[in-house]
Order: sequence, then structure tokens, then C-alpha cells
Amino acid sequence: MDFPDNLFPTFFLPGPPGQNDSPGSFLAPAWSDYMQLLKPPQTQDPSVSPQHEASYVAKWGRWTSDTPGPLPFLHPGADPWDPELTSQDLLFQGRWRHPSRARVTVDVIEQLNQFLWDHGDIAFGPLGRLLQENFNLGETKKSCKGRKVMNAERLLQDLSGHQPKGCPWAHLSTRQRRFSLVGGAVLGQEVEGLLGGLLHEELESRWKKLLLDEASTGGALGWLPGAKPQVGQLIYPTGRAHNQLNFQKVRLSPTSNPQALGEPIRVLLRGPVRQVVTRTIQGEALVAVRSDHHCAVWQVSRQGHPEPLQVLDTEKGATGISLSPHLPAELAVCTRSGAVCLWSPRDGLQQIHHDPETLIFKDPSKWRWADFTAHPRVLTVADRTGIRLTDVRGPSDCRALLFRVGAEASCQRGERVLLAQSLGTSGPVSPSPTLHLVCTQFSLYLMDERLPLVPMMKWNHGLMSPPLLAQLLPPPQPGAPLPLLLGGLGGHLRMLHLSGGSACTPQLAAPPQSLPSPIDSLPGFPELEPHGQQLLQERLKAPLTGLVAVVPPRCLNPTMLLFQLSAAGDTFYQRFWLQPDANSEDADSLRNANSSSDHTGDLGLNSHDQTSATGSLDAAPDPMAVSWNPQAVACCRRWLKTLLQAPPALPPWTPPTFSQHHLRWSREEEAKGKVQEGLQAAMTEDRLLQQGDLDPLPPSDPPPGHEPFGPEDKLSERLEASWEGKGALWWDSQQSGSRAPRKRHSREKKRTQLSSSFSSVRTNSDFSDLNSSFHHPHETPSPIHRPSEASQSLEPSQELWAKSVPRERRQTLRDYLAVLPSLDSESCSAPQSQDLGSQTFPTSDTGRRSVPHSQNLGSQPLYSLDPGFSSLSHSQNSSIHTLPSRSTPSLAGSQPLKKKPRMGF
Amino acid sequence: MCGGYNYSSSFGVDMDSFSEELMRPVEEDDQVEASVGSGPEIYLPWLSQHVQSTVSRGCKGTNFAQTTSICLNFIREALLKHQWQRASEFLQCYLQTLEDFNSQKRQVAPENIWKLGSEILYHHPKSNIETFSAFADRMKNIGVQNYLKISLQHALYLLHKGMVEDAYRNLNQAESWRYGEMSASQEKLIKLIQAYRGLLDYYTWSKKRTELSRFDTDGFATNAATQDMHSYFRQASVNLHEIIKIPGIWDPFVKSYVEMLEFYGDQDGARQVLNDYAYDNNFPSNPNAHIYLYKFLKKEKTPEDKLINVLKILHQIVPSHKIMLEFHTLLRKSEKKEHQKLGLEVIFAVLDFSGCTENITAWSYLAKYLKQIVKEKHIDWVQEAWSSRKDWWPTFHFSYYLAKKNWKENKILAVKKAFTSGILLGKGCKYFMYVCKQGRKVQEKSIKTMKRFVMKHNTLNSEEL
Repeated sequence: MDFPDNLFPTFFLPGPPGQNDSPGSFLAPAWSDYMQLLKPPQTQDPSVSPQHEASYVAKWGRWTSDTPGPLPFLHPGADPWDPELTSQDLLFQGRWRHPSRARVTVDVIEQLNQFLWDHGDIAFGPLGRLLQENFNLGETKKSCKGRKVMNAERLLQDLSGHQPKGCPWAHLSTRQRRFSLVGGAVLGQEVEGLLGGLLHEELESRWKKLLLDEASTGGALGWLPGAKPQVGQLIYPTGRAHNQLNFQKVRLSPTSNPQALGEPIRVLLRGPVRQVVTRTIQGEALVAVRSDHHCAVWQVSRQGHPEPLQVLDTEKGATGISLSPHLPAELAVCTRSGAVCLWSPRDGLQQIHHDPETLIFKDPSKWRWADFTAHPRVLTVADRTGIRLTDVRGPSDCRALLFRVGAEASCQRGERVLLAQSLGTSGPVSPSPTLHLVCTQFSLYLMDERLPLVPMMKWNHGLMSPPLLAQLLPPPQPGAPLPLLLGGLGGHLRMLHLSGGSACTPQLAAPPQSLPSPIDSLPGFPELEPHGQQLLQERLKAPLTGLVAVVPPRCLNPTMLLFQLSAAGDTFYQRFWLQPDANSEDADSLRNANSSSDHTGDLGLNSHDQTSATGSLDAAPDPMAVSWNPQAVACCRRWLKTLLQAPPALPPWTPPTFSQHHLRWSREEEAKGKVQEGLQAAMTEDRLLQQGDLDPLPPSDPPPGHEPFGPEDKLSERLEASWEGKGALWWDSQQSGSRAPRKRHSREKKRTQLSSSFSSVRTNSDFSDLNSSFHHPHETPSPIHRPSEASQSLEPSQELWAKSVPRERRQTLRDYLAVLPSLDSESCSAPQSQDLGSQTFPTSDTGRRSVPHSQNLGSQPLYSLDPGFSSLSHSQNSSIHTLPSRSTPSLAGSQPLKKKPRMGF
Repeated sequence: MCGGYNYSSSFGVDMDSFSEELMRPVEEDDQVEASVGSGPEIYLPWLSQHVQSTVSRGCKGTNFAQTTSICLNFIREALLKHQWQRASEFLQCYLQTLEDFNSQKRQVAPENIWKLGSEILYHHPKSNIETFSAFADRMKNIGVQNYLKISLQHALYLLHKGMVEDAYRNLNQAESWRYGEMSASQEKLIKLIQAYRGLLDYYTWSKKRTELSRFDTDGFATNAATQDMHSYFRQASVNLHEIIKIPGIWDPFVKSYVEMLEFYGDQDGARQVLNDYAYDNNFPSNPNAHIYLYKFLKKEKTPEDKLINVLKILHQIVPSHKIMLEFHTLLRKSEKKEHQKLGLEVIFAVLDFSGCTENITAWSYLAKYLKQIVKEKHIDWVQEAWSSRKDWWPTFHFSYYLAKKNWKENKILAVKKAFTSGILLGKGCKYFMYVCKQGRKVQEKSIKTMKRFVMKHNTLNSEEL
């Protein structure tokens, strides 16, 4: 391959980023074509100026479109789309007391306030359950058993007539007032404390995602050319959760608009599609898809049927996937753990890089990216700080840095790599096999892998959204510059023209230009009433998540079809062609004169809509102003009609009611199945959790582990227990716990007599949970030495006895097993072995196992008669339960600690 | 060009410091450096957008700041739509930033205006050199800091328009400019300006040389011309010599300097310059530096061993370079066994790259060399080179698909590749079999001989597989 034999002179300054005044940084990109001048002067007389590229337009023509903006390509999906969060939703919007010190704050309080209103059941439910026994909510008879019961019947009556939601003139009875004054301080604080942490975390991640949504790096729109040149397939996700992958056949025609052929082939996935990569190598058409925790690769047959090849499960989450342009079905996958693997469905996985730290300096981002280079065995591995070339075959061979966020590339301070893409296309005649595109939030760099660290070109893109999408197209005409498309997440599109093949340095052949985004098509749609107009605007403004340009076959003029995919699942297209320019200068100046007079009044207007609406007429680089033709308007109309037919995004809001059953959680059992279904449905659809989904909290779903608020934070403990539905149990354990020290003292003395009494008297029914904890030692041969194993293998090994335990007690039993003492906790193992071990059942192992079973079932009533054993049971209960339970507060049974699903944000 | 990223967000820290980071005065909208902490945090230019939309209610920026930022957006938009006239009109209004109340904004304003203005004037259909020069001269003196930068760009513009003398005058002026203490970057810039002036001196020198070569008789006029030419050489060499000491990429400067040194017979000096340019570790690994050195040494008729050493390093940096084919021939001709062995590796490495897969010269070199090596019984060399490629070359080069494609597009290439595949993979290889089968149909003689050779030598390959 040729290497450009005369590079543009630059300084090479190693160092940290931010040395903004390094001399290389000031040469604007428009000037880079001066370097034509620096060709070997022997052959060229310097006084004769190199022919100024009398502009790209005169030589190659103008990119023209027949519509001022992209048109909708497919009908909008049936699923409604909720617009993403905006900064207004997250940030504090109030007036600051000192405007001079106005600052930006993520508004946790407002969010918490909203949450408490919208999901009061979740927030206050545990408290309600906790206090349930101390309040009489209108039952005919409440068994008090020595507890203090407050009659809340009247209180409820006072409430029932009013909707409490933010209604300032709602009548407040003295009783209510007194209750809220006395109880409010205590009851409110705990809920806020527990929920606040979760909310904080959630808001933080949402805010970060709003600023930089790295998941959609690379784009989720793909194009596969078909067996015939005029038919291809568009691959894109739809559905509310973006979990439905569509393979839509599209017919291209040289003159008219593209046509969707029939219904797409749909594949339902178990996660949102974040990235779609397509490649045709040696006749094999491949589609690779990245989801959050799965990667998959399909092969598409010549008839267009996708066949899944393999699915990869990434525990930590995948951040990037790319298909090799050299070898069929070879992929590179990066994960958040810092690993980069070469993946081939035939040969499996090969880890080629693993580094949890970033390359150049420390950056907290877990984003990693990998792509292929001109050498099939050398890959680029990128993170936020730089890009490295890594040879698959060995550690020593080739590990040079390709790009570094530093002074070499005149990076600014705080600049980070957002996209690193190889511009080499598949096929041996790629004009730029060694070029790599690097995008940061400020600039675009072109790097040649043969000359690391020194950018061949730098352009300040000035995009006001992260540039995460890019595509290099083949030259529209032989010898013409290559169009490079760059897409920002906010819908900003840029087209650059790169001149130069492998033999000369890449340069901008024409000043970069912007291309219209879907929101620029707003004037093409009919006027709607405000609600519909807002819906349409939101839809058109949805973030750009995919970008693909297709070159239709056999066109008279070089043509390009630009498809755009929005986060709402809509696909838009626009057709551009390169029109040879006759007299560019006159037309240009004429047009400019016209447009300038149009725009003098625009100065004071800031909104994007305004500028794009007025600017759309001269947006297209066509001298004759492009206007909306009837076909385009009809197309927009049809699409809009379908859009407005779709059901509204959310069911009508119903005000929350503080009825009794919400507080009491009485329908727990029968609602269990329904809750799980509802949760699952909501999570797969990635939509807002609604009251209906969550009605009662699933009891098997513990809240995330929290640090205790203090050493003696009984209320939190109690709340936690109440979350898990074991409020009463906790109370019992507390009661007995306070008695435990005294009992322990006397236990030693009593041991002998107890053991004798135990051997004669066995079980009871009232304490079957306690009873089952006794069971356990007999069940597994030596539980004391294998506690963790026992608790882990709970389900399979203890099926036998589990059947004998009443269903509602099994959960409790699991809890006991989970808190079994570990090897070194003597205090716990001692009483067990003493009470239940060899003394009690001096039989063989098998005997031990069988005896208590039969005893258990047979002689239940006997147990409660023995007062001595009853006291033992208490002490033992407390010793088992209270000791380890603080260390694993939220572990419920053998289930691993699960993060509670996020609710309603 | 892109202001307004003073809001920094520190990703990955806890929320409190996260919000702390965001708590910056909104008024100081465009400050770039000063408010930015030293920690390694990502800065997002679009953060201010998000923040402004919520905060502006509480604290609006001044009208002045608002109008200028709107104006700037209009200019950018117009530039991206190639509406140069519209952009220029907005730029006239944008000049008010020069009087911004905010001192930091005021400081960066001249540079922004220069960047925008020069781009507009560069592309505007009605702009001419006079307008551009007038604008540049005005801008040079507004922000003192930018004098050197603007001068250099102005000179480059003039050069571009073919006005060498004006450019030279400009560079001269810039070079003699002094204003207070020079910062480190300004010193570098001065060096760069001097280097460009040196390059222009070299152009003149080169012109004089061609003129001189036309006179074939000695005489007074020629003598004076030689003197004149020599003075240009001295001027140029001083400046060029300075710049190439600083790490960087100086291809045009090095080339012209070396050419002048060669002309005056200073071969050692030229060699030293090229050696430094190629082998100084502070410089980026520029393949051209090695190529220049190689070409110089080759012209000097340096022994082949030395040439091989130069190219060996280039082979390590850029194994795909086209000069590697020349390197391969050099190595093949060499007497030494290790060179011959390296020759095989070099030609294999060229064909590793996707840009070279259909390079017929490379394939014929490889086929020819393989034949020679097999005959000379150095099968272990082949095995060694093949071992790191045997798991991917078959699909990369010798798949059935490629056999069909190559045969259809270029039969000679297909035959060369088939021969190589036969040697490396044995006669059972798909590529080989396909080409043989097709060859039988067309009765090509070369295929028969190829087949005979592969059949004869396939035993050695079967054991290596």
C-alpha cells in the first residue's frame, strides 16, 4: 500500500491534553488544502499556484435533494412512545434566592415528593404493615394479645371523603392533624431515608444517560445488500423496549423512492437492541446485534431469511460489537469489565485484551470499543482516553498506541473519545483501509494506523450532541472525494468530503455541510391541534439512534439514500444526488442575497423550531429552493394519520386513594402471581411501572441491602423486616432477644434435664417455623460444618421435608437456613449440637433422618405441653436468628441478593 | 469555535460532588480554561444547553450575551449550509463580542472572529485577495496574542493564491514582530514561521538553480547568479535546520534541506539530518523518514547490508508499505541465509494486509520464492512463517468464494494464488482444486506445470499440516 510521501508539517508534543496553545491547534481545517503547495517543488514551479479546487461544487457537483427534509419511510409502530427524560424533569427549576449564585442541582426532593404521591403504596406500605397490628382499621374484632391497639376507624372515616392529593382546601380534622403531628416525624423520616438513597442513585444514572447515552454508540440501523442489487434489507429494532428486531426488505430504484416489500421478518429478543452491525464478506451476509447483556449474530441467506448463528451472554454488559471486514463471521466484543474478545461462532471466544483500567490516564467510564484494522489479526481497542492497536496473536508483537487524548492531537482538557471507527471498508479496493475515525465531543480526527498518534486531519465538528454514528461511503464517482457522514445523538447530521486515497493524506475537499434531520420536515406535515402538534414534534425530535446510507444501483447521477432511525422507532429516508453544477457562483450569490433578506428578522428568535422552519427553504444545497412536493406531503400525511390513530401513551391517570386494603396489604397471597407478571411485563416493555403492576409488593423481592443507620436503629430493622413481610417475626425475635441474656445464663444448668425432656417430647404445631429449624440438623448430615452449602442447595436437597412444612412457612424456613452460623460461630453451633446431637438421638445417620420426620408428623400436640422446652425454644430461636441476621440483613433464604427493580422513574 | 462548555460533569463520583461540579455561575458562559478544574473529568459542550433550559428562568444571562450567542449559532448554521453571504452579514453583528463585559469572552473573541471570518472569506464567491488581506491585517492587531497565528495563516493564504512575494513579506514581518515576553508556544510559532520562510527561500533557490542550469558557459553573469543562489541557500538552511531539531513531522522541510545539502556536496550533513529524522526517539515514527533515508542511501550506492538495515526497521513499522516489495527483492538476492529467510517473512507480511490481497506482484513474488525455497529444501522457513497464518489465511485468501471471484476477474492472479495455496495447504485445498479444474477446461499450460510441481512437492506439506 502506498503511504503519503509528503505529510503536512506539524509539531509533535507529547504531553497531557489541554495545552491549547500548541501551534498545531490553530490551523483551521479549511486551510489544510494549503498543503498541496508543499508538494516537491522540483516538479512544480512554486509561483504557479496549485489549482485551487475551484471548489468541490464546480468539479463534482452539488448534493441535491428533492425534499427539504427526510420523509417517514415505514408506518409508525403500534406501540406508543414516551419521550425521553429531559433536563427539565431532573434539574431544580426553582428560583434561587441569590440569582448571582444560581447553580444547577439535580432535583431529588421534587422527585421524591412525586414518588411519594404516585407510589404511596410502595413507600408507606411497609410502615402500614408494620403498624397493622396496632391499628384497628375497622375489623370487627382484633386480637390484641396484650398489644396496644389504636382505633383508626374514625381517622379513616375522616379521610375517606377527600382526595388528599395536594388539595390545600381539603378538610383536616383535629384527629388527622393530631395524628400527623405526632406520627409524621417518625414515619416520614424512615421512608425518605430508605428511598432517598435509591432515588439518588437512579437520578444520577439518568442524568448521566441524558448527557451522554453511550449505549447507542455505533447505531442500531443496518443495511444488507441482497442477492439482487436493487433489493436489500433494512435491519432495525422496534417496540417500546426496542427488543423486536426487524428485517425489512426494501426495493431501491434509481429514480423513485425506496419501497418496503411486504412485512418485515420479526425476531423478538430478550433485551433492547443497542447496536446493529452488518457486513457482507465473501458472499456471506451477517448481522451482529448488541443488547445490554447479550450479543448475537445472524446469517442472512440469499433469499433474505435470517438464521441465528450464536448468542453470547455477557454478564457485565457489552459496550461494543464489530464484525470483521476480512474474515466471515468473526467479531470483536467489548464488555464493561474491560475485556475485549475475538468471537467467532465456529471457534468460540478468545480474549485479546483485559484491563479494567483505562489506557492513558484514569477515567471512570467503563465504555470500551473495538474495531478491526487493515491487518486481520490486529484490532483497535478503545476507551475514553485513547486507542491501542492490539495483535491477536501475541502480547509482544504489536501494541502501539494509535491515538491518545493528549497534546499530540492538540486535545482540549476534558476531551474524551466517544467513537472510534475503522474507515476501511470490506473489499480489497477500499480507498482508505488504514484510516480510523476518532470522534470526541469537540473534534473529529482521522488517524492512519501506519502513523500513530499524529492525526492526519482534525476538524472541530461543533455538534451539540454526542457524535456516536458515522459512515464512510464509496466515492460517488471515480476519483471523487469520499462522503463521510457523521451523526449526533440529537439528530445533527454532517457530511464531509474526504479527498485522498491511501497515497495522499486525507483532506476536506469541500467545506462540511449539515444535512436536514427529521424535525426539519415539520413544515411538510399538516397543521394539527396543539396536542397532536406536540406529539408530532416530540416524535420528530426523538434522538437519532441509527444512520445508514445506501447507494442505489444504476443511477444516472450518483445517488445516496440516507436512512435515519429515531429512538421512537421511526425510520426516515432522504434521497440525495450529485447534480453537476453549471454556474455555481451566480446561483449561489443570488440565493444568498435572497436568503439574507429573509432572515434579517430572525435575530431575536432562539428556538430551534423557528430557525429550522425558516431555514428549511435554503437548507438544501440546491440553488433552486426545494419545496414540499405533493407526493412528499401525502407521504407525511399518511404517516401522521397512522401515528394519531395509535392509542394514547398512558392510561388515564387515577388519583391515589388511601383505602384500607392499600395499607393493610391483605390481598398478598392471591396477587403474588399477578404482581410478578405485571413486573415482568413492565420491565420487558421498559415502560413506567404503574399502580396496576405493583399493587402489593412481591414478598420474595427484598429491598436492597442498606447500611444500618446506626448501631441501634431498631426502626429501620423493623421496617426492613416488614418489607419482607416478617414484621411479626421480628417482633418476636426482639422480644425473645431481650430475654436472651438472662436465659443463656440459666441454659447451662438446665441442659441435662432439658435433653432428657426433649428426647421424650418432640414437636408442636404452633411453632412449626421454629420446629423446622430443628429439623434442619437432622436433615443434612452435618449442617454445622457445611452451612453455606446447605443453604445454597436448599431447594433440591430438602424437597422431602419441605413438603411437610406448610406453604406459608417455607419462606420463613429459608430465612432460618440462610442465617445458619458459619464455621467459626461457636455460640450458635454449641447449643445445637448439645441439644440435638448425639445425646438426643444416639442413632445412626439414617435413623436420625427418619425419626424426627415421623415424630414430627405424629406427635405434634405433645410439645406445647412441656414448659421447659418452650423456654428453650425461645432462647434458641433468638440465638440463631439475632446473631447473624445483622450481617445479612436483607438476604431472604437461599436467593442471591437481587437489586430491587427500579420503580416508576 | 465551540464555547460554552464550562459546565463540567464528573462522571463516576457520588452525587454530591456531582452536583457541586455543576454548581457554577451561569453567567460566565464561555469561559473555557479558567473555571475548569484540574481533575480528569469529561466536559460536554452540550451540557450548557441542558442547564440553560432549566436555569435560565432563575437567572437569565444578559441580553448582550444572549444576542451574541444566538448570532454565533446563526453564523455556524449558515456556514454549514454554505450560505456565505448570510454568514458574513451575521458576522458583522457578531463583532460586538469584541466589547464583551466578560473579560474572558473578550479575550477569545478575536480568535473566534478570525476563524469564522477567514473561513467565510475563503469560500465567499465575491471575496478577493484584497478583502482577505485587509481583514487579516485588521485582525492581527486586535488581539495581540493572535498576531503570529494570523500572520502565518495569512501568508499561507497568499501562497495558496500564488502570491509568493507577498507571502514572503508577510512572513518576514511576522518574524520580526516583538511584543513583550514571548510564551513558549509563540516561540515555537516563530520557528514555524521561519521554517516556512526558509521553504520559500528554498523555492527561490530551486528556481535559480534551474535557471542556472540553462546557461552552459561560464561567465560573470553565471557567477553572480551562483552567488545569489548561494545566499538563498544560507538563509534557507539556517531556518530549516532550526525547525527539524524540534520533534515533529517536517517532511517538506527535511526534503528541501537535504536536497540543498546534496547539491553543495555535503553528503555527510545530509545523511546526518536524515538519520536524526528517522531514528530520534522523540520524533513520531514517521515512515517517510525511513523512506527518505533509504532513497538517499540508495542514490549514494551504499552497500546493500546497510540498505537492508534501514528497511528492516521500516518493515517493523509499516509492513504493508509498497517499498517492501523492493525490500523482498533485496533480501532474496542477498547471500546471507538470514536475509533470505527474512525475505519470505516480508513477502508474507505484505500479503497479510487487506489492501494488498489482490496485489499481483506480491503474489507472484511469493509463488516464485516459495518454489525456490522448496527446491532449496528450506521447508522449515515456510513452516515458521506459515504457523502464525495457518488459522486465518485459508479463509482470508484461499476460500472457494475467492477462487471463483479471482478466476473470473484475474486469471493470472488466480493461478499464482492457487500455486501458493497448493504449496501451503496441499493439493486438497479448495482454491487449488477449483483453479485446476477451471484450468483443465481452458487447457492452460501454466496450470499444468503448476499442478505437476505441487503434486511433486505435496508430501512435504502434508507432514507440516
